[in-house]
Amino acid sequence: MSNSPTKKGIFNASVLQNRGLGDKFSRLSLELEKKAHIPFSNASAGQFIQIDVSNLALPDEKLIPGELSDSARRNILLRRPFSFADIDSSKNSTIVEILYCVLGPATLRMKTLRTTDIVNLIGPLGTGFTISEDKKLAILAAGGMGAPPLIHLAKVLKNRCPNTEIIAFVGAKTKIDLSFFDIKTDKLKIKSDVILGEFAKHNIKTVVSTDDGSVGFKGFVTETLADWLRKNKPDGKNAIIYTCGPEAMLSATAALSSEFKIPCQVSLERRMACGTGLCQSCAVKCRDKTSGGTLYKLCCKDGPVFWSDEVVWE
Amino acid sequence: MGIKNKDIDLSVSLGSVKLKNPLITASGTCGYADELDDFMDINLLGGFITKSITLKPRLGNDVPRIVETDSGMLNAIGLANIGVEKFIQEKILMMARYKTPFFVNIAGQTIDEYVAVAEKLSQCPRIAGLELNISCPNVKQGGITFGTDPALVRQITTEVKKVVRDKILIVKLTPNVTDISVIARAAVDCGADALSLINTFTAMVIDIETKRPVLANRTGGLSGPAIKPIAVYLVNKVFNEVGKPAGVPIIGGGGIRTASDAIEFIIAGATAVTIGTAGFIYPDCAVKIMEGIKTYCLKHKISLAELIGSLK
Repeated sequence: MSNSPTKKGIFNASVLQNRGLGDKFSRLSLELEKKAHIPFSNASAGQFIQIDVSNLALPDEKLIPGELSDSARRNILLRRPFSFADIDSSKNSTIVEILYCVLGPATLRMKTLRTTDIVNLIGPLGTGFTISEDKKLAILAAGGMGAPPLIHLAKVLKNRCPNTEIIAFVGAKTKIDLSFFDIKTDKLKIKSDVILGEFAKHNIKTVVSTDDGSVGFKGFVTETLADWLRKNKPDGKNAIIYTCGPEAMLSATAALSSEFKIPCQVSLERRMACGTGLCQSCAVKCRDKTSGGTLYKLCCKDGPVFWSDEVVWE
Repeated sequence: MGIKNKDIDLSVSLGSVKLKNPLITASGTCGYADELDDFMDINLLGGFITKSITLKPRLGNDVPRIVETDSGMLNAIGLANIGVEKFIQEKILMMARYKTPFFVNIAGQTIDEYVAVAEKLSQCPRIAGLELNISCPNVKQGGITFGTDPALVRQITTEVKKVVRDKILIVKLTPNVTDISVIARAAVDCGADALSLINTFTAMVIDIETKRPVLANRTGGLSGPAIKPIAVYLVNKVFNEVGKPAGVPIIGGGGIRTASDAIEFIIAGATAVTIGTAGFIYPDCAVKIMEGIKTYCLKHKISLAELIGSLK
């Protein structure tokens, strides 16, 4: 299955909904203009969009979290990249969903977007996840805000690879950091029985962990993943790991991939200006298989999804 | 029916090279042009300038390579490029698909390297000219060290000019000097056919939590709207003191985002203008800027030629 970049473009989008999910997170639904239909109906999970947020207003002073009151006053110049949590493309409309966390002056401004507001975006950008229909097992490993592209991927895999069994490992610092999920725990608080609606609706078994044990298992997502791999010993030839999250977590997952000989795709994050390969700022150090040395690839164009064994983990 | 936008002649000349309009994409911000294909018709541009090409391939600096500032950004890419051999083999044919004249920006660590790159490129018929990058602030050797010393500017311009054959030679100037006109004059005296200004300002952003510079290179070049008024001033200064008396055209740029920004540069004395950072945000903005310049000329009943250096 090809994951080659599709034709991209600059599009306007109308806000359908911008819904707060707890204090830190929001879900933004954007309906793109008609001409975006073809590029976005061909978009793959793991690709991203760059949104122009430079002209958005700040929220009321009282609504700005204390830790952002200083940085909120900064101007925004560059677009901000967001991966898709979902794309719903039909003949008449293209709806893109993104999940974002309020971290700085740009995402703070995004909180003020209201239904029918217009934003400008570029996309779909980059190279997404590679999907092979013949895999028997797909393992998703999501850390913190790395979850959105894997939520999208889960839906795509379910549609395209009906014979592939999928299992998701989801980790975050605390329960609050999972609040963009539709989360359900049973009354007995059995650690293995935390349900995340986004995966449950596709009948995907999910293992949840938090660093502080506030929900699910206490520990890192890479620990629950390692335990499961040790216990189940999946055949690497028929399995694949897809992962997105903080770089240290991706690096640890890459190590598990080589230990258990299961190919692994990682979705990386870098500071980027353009997102289209022009500025060359989002360099990712990779192995040069021909020379044996290293080379830089671009997160925005060659990635954000890379094979874990091509990345030089530092 | 009066004159319409499409009837306005925006053509300008840089030495022997005629551009159909003054809009050029700045070096290092438009890749090898093909990256822009999905967003705009490259053939609508007056010209484009490739990223810097060096004798040997360069990997570039470690990350972070950029950081946003208020109304600007710092970059320290470190002249990452595929090297002149691969550039000639892989990119020239691809770029020759466009009707738009293109210029190749060249850089090196020694004068010999600049000359070697210029010599190879001057044999490629499709290249309209070379832009000498003696102003990159982000490499340890070469780049800006040449561009801040008038004696070295004379030497490097003279040596490269000997090998460029029929290509025009553009010299790109750094603003990180006491008097930019001294540098401009050195380049013009030694055969520069056009001057390009300005490159970025050396700058730093500090992470106050770690007390370290944000960029791996520690410093980077400041670009974007933040530098525009300084760039307009410097273009006007070089136009008055060097360009106009010597009859050498100026390619002006620095923070141009709108047609009115570009028109300011043209009034200040620029024959052509470069779009850099703004293209990262709106990759098709050069075309909109061109339309805006036409509208302005129509409204003010002035030709582009009359507008150049018309500052009162």
